[in-house]
Amino acid sequence: MKKAIILPILILFILTNCEKVVDVDVPTTAPKLVIDASFEVFFDETPVRANTTVKLRLSADYFDDTIPTVTNATVFVTNLSNGTIINFSDNNSDGDFEPTTTFIPEDNSEYELTVVYDSQTFKGRATKIKSTPFTKVVQGDTTLFTGNETELEIFFTDSGTQDDYYLFDFTKNNLLTLEDRFFNGSDYNFSFFFLEDEIELPTNITVKISGITKEYFTYFGILIDQSGQSGGGPFQSVPSTILGNIVNTTNDDNFPLGYFHISETDTFNLDLVDKTK
Amino acid sequence: MKGYLKQLLLILILYSINTIGQEKITLSGTVYDKNTNETLIGVTVYLPELNYGTMTNEYGFYSVTVPKGNYKLQVSYVGYATISENINLSSRLSKDYKLVEESESLDEVIIETNVEKLNIRTPQMSVNSLSAATIKQIPVVLGEADILKSIILLPGVTSAGEGASGFNVRGGAADQNLILLDESIVFNSSHLFGFFSIFNPDVIKDVKLFKGGIPARYGGRLSSVLDIYQKEGNSKEFKLTGGIGLVSSRLLAEGPIEKEKSSFLIGGRASYAHLFLPLLDIDNSAYFYDLNSKVNYRFDKKNNLFLSTYFGKDVFNINDSFTNNYGNTVVNLRWNHLFSDKLFSNLSIIYSDYFYGLTLDAAGFEWNSGIGNFNLKYDFKHYLNSKFKLGYGINNIHTSFNPGKIEPSTQDSGIRTQQLTKKYANEFAAYIEAEHKISDKLTLQYGARFSNFLRLGQDELNVYANNQPLTYNSQFKKYESASATGTEQFKRSDVIKSFNNIEPRFSFSYLLNEKSSFKASYNRMVQYLHLLSNTSSPTPLDVWTPSGKYIRPQLLDQYALGYFKSIKDGDYSLETEVFYKDIRNRIDYINGGDLIANNEIETIILNGKARAYGLEVLFKKNEGNFTGWLSYTLSRSEQLTAGRTPNEPGINNGNWYSTPFDKTHDISINTTYELNDKWKFNSNFIFQTGQPTNYPVGQYEVQGLNVPLYDSNRRNADRLPTYHRLDISATLTPSSNKNRKWKGEWVFGIYNIYGRDNAASLSFSQNQDTFRNEATQTSIFGIVPSITYNFKF
Repeated sequence: MKKAIILPILILFILTNCEKVVDVDVPTTAPKLVIDASFEVFFDETPVRANTTVKLRLSADYFDDTIPTVTNATVFVTNLSNGTIINFSDNNSDGDFEPTTTFIPEDNSEYELTVVYDSQTFKGRATKIKSTPFTKVVQGDTTLFTGNETELEIFFTDSGTQDDYYLFDFTKNNLLTLEDRFFNGSDYNFSFFFLEDEIELPTNITVKISGITKEYFTYFGILIDQSGQSGGGPFQSVPSTILGNIVNTTNDDNFPLGYFHISETDTFNLDLVDKTK
Repeated sequence: MKGYLKQLLLILILYSINTIGQEKITLSGTVYDKNTNETLIGVTVYLPELNYGTMTNEYGFYSVTVPKGNYKLQVSYVGYATISENINLSSRLSKDYKLVEESESLDEVIIETNVEKLNIRTPQMSVNSLSAATIKQIPVVLGEADILKSIILLPGVTSAGEGASGFNVRGGAADQNLILLDESIVFNSSHLFGFFSIFNPDVIKDVKLFKGGIPARYGGRLSSVLDIYQKEGNSKEFKLTGGIGLVSSRLLAEGPIEKEKSSFLIGGRASYAHLFLPLLDIDNSAYFYDLNSKVNYRFDKKNNLFLSTYFGKDVFNINDSFTNNYGNTVVNLRWNHLFSDKLFSNLSIIYSDYFYGLTLDAAGFEWNSGIGNFNLKYDFKHYLNSKFKLGYGINNIHTSFNPGKIEPSTQDSGIRTQQLTKKYANEFAAYIEAEHKISDKLTLQYGARFSNFLRLGQDELNVYANNQPLTYNSQFKKYESASATGTEQFKRSDVIKSFNNIEPRFSFSYLLNEKSSFKASYNRMVQYLHLLSNTSSPTPLDVWTPSGKYIRPQLLDQYALGYFKSIKDGDYSLETEVFYKDIRNRIDYINGGDLIANNEIETIILNGKARAYGLEVLFKKNEGNFTGWLSYTLSRSEQLTAGRTPNEPGINNGNWYSTPFDKTHDISINTTYELNDKWKFNSNFIFQTGQPTNYPVGQYEVQGLNVPLYDSNRRNADRLPTYHRLDISATLTPSSNKNRKWKGEWVFGIYNIYGRDNAASLSFSQNQDTFRNEATQTSIFGIVPSITYNFKF
């Protein structure tokens, strides 16, 4: 919703301003541990499969070319409803920790993620959030401002029983958060537009819809804003440190970045054609 | 406070009695422009022998009461020839004066205008005036003469950057300016998100900006009053004025309905459709327009009626799937009545509203929000005697707030209609103010305003556990919005919350000698409305919200001292002021708080305070072929939002942080050079400290996104690069003008002549091709040439 309303303001900026890359001396800070653990359970597939990678990284100076990985950590997830422990290991030494046994997060079970790194323990909790499957995703004909955008029309049915929050991944780092406040329980559809230089046609893409918590919705919304998807200008709000839901139980002040979240996710694969030809 | 009011009353009674005993004569009347019959605001009516004078009020009326006798009388006004005559005051006299514009009068009757002299005497400080003529000369982007872009050249006034809407006065926020158009409150002063202001320069008669020492007759906003009066219309002959520019065209028609008794004025300004979007080969439009109209009727010398309206709109339409429009509507009926030659009154009934609408088919919804008010004002000016002038009045404003309504825009849209809870409020104020000449050297201006604000009943008011709409989660170190535990229902006539405030105002001027004076002022202001905006300058979709159970009224105390000097009989003048402002209950927003379509705004608000202090210098050259001013401001504007308990960090860890429009140094130099009757040159030079911004302290990756790491404890701690630019313009008045009715002039301008890429923003993001992080500077205007043709017929 927010993005949609901000849109008109951006138009003017896109069309009148001029941009250039400049050298800026930015301040630095001590590296922070980043725990990126957004689990996706592909509930609409048979058999149900899950992406349960825990990515451990460090924050880096802003203009550094590489982001350091963390390989020397202990990672495990505890199912708090029955005490089962699922161990994770980094087989490729790339900072991506995978469960050592098959792990599909269950409905209504609370999980605790534990990461031990540099003699400090980090913990976060999550319970799987329900989602709804796509009804369909089709390529549309409408364009926005330049006439060269590619429209995706997304159709799904929102559940009317509770407040739902969604995260959409349209690929190419195009992520969108959405809440059902204004379409609770409806068959809802909206359009997403790829800008001309964001996608090369024809191509095949897989889009994703995930059910997320209210807190993750807020967190991810700010993340998208700050990652620069929505530009700058006088209409920018003040950026700040985005804190997630993982705490450092050894040293409370050394708060980690990142989030532990488990969502139900549905995917939709489609071919995009070049309609200008 | 009680004692203060008592004292005020005592002085009043004393002076009323005082006037009865002496044989004094009152001279009163109205001052007009001879050619147009337009009343003139701020004309000096001066009696040199008594060293006493007054100025005409907003309706051109003056009244002086002096002992019987023969006097010399001067009526003077900038840009007009002074009338100087001997007058015998033996009995009450009503006399109107008609001034002739200097440029049109014969040289020998011009007497040096001496307006600066009185400015030194009047206790009013921190005020700047601009005439419509000055505004039209100042070079501006795309040649579009603009009040708001002109006032930001004055000391103490700035904005959050080029293309930012609104303006900031003495470190105050943009929503703290009371913008009055013919006494009506205007909620949004910008077109095209801030590139242009809504005021058609042809229609403007007088612009006054009060930055401090604000008289008690004004209230409701903290930082400033921008008091704009529109022309009444030429009541002698029909006239057309207009201009053709690159962005818009203007046309103004005015003339008598009944000669010298009633007149009309109708003015329109419209930008060209497809503004800014012409290069794109798609079906779209973007334009704005304004419509000003005014009718007045002079019943007799004692009664005058005015009806004025303003209607303006911005429209964007892209492919019919996206439309956005917003604008103000103002209707205003005023009645001037003279109860006696000493008592002037004005009764106004005003309706004013602001509307914002958006249709976005891509998301299947239509959105509209707005604010509207009914305003009843009754103001009196009592010219008791040569030493004492009194103003008093009442004001009642009823405001309705529509925070937003969402509706499906198409038949197959899944959007469900929803109306965010509408809010209602009533603000009543009564004031009394006096201008009191204690001695030849010392003049006081003092008064007080009482204001009462009632938050009226609304359909649903949320209730929260422990009355805390916002909680702090110490585990995750963040503020979280609480969920309402229930709602309270009210009738429209119920009062949810009421506030009462007394706002004292005081200033004095002390004449050091004939050429210089010292002034000081204190004012308290209360603001009951808040513009919800967490961006560095307001956007058209920001909504206003009233104070109430969860949001307290903003309070300001401002102190200012000034030294004023007139050099060489007013050929030059120097104004120096220092100010200190202290603001309580300035709200700020929690990280990630979403203001848009938020029905529970209280759950994302933190209460804080603000302060600003600075030094302003204005050096002016008023006479000669070469005129202009140098304005310098050294200031600081900060905000503090502490945690509510010691465990909470508040914002910026509870430390002071710069406001987004804090600029340490702000210099502007404006010059005008009249080469001859044909050519006139104008230039602007602006140099400012870069605005506060935020640099990342690092980077990290989450879900494939590269995210800049910002530090919440160094909010607004970095700066954009220094801002500077030079603009020039040349006005050509063809000599063929002299002997014909049609008078035209060409204005050629170049904005930002040396093409400085001034940063409007710096954004930090990853280049999607190289996957390297970059700092990208956005500049809005490069070198912008312009040409405008103005005409009068």
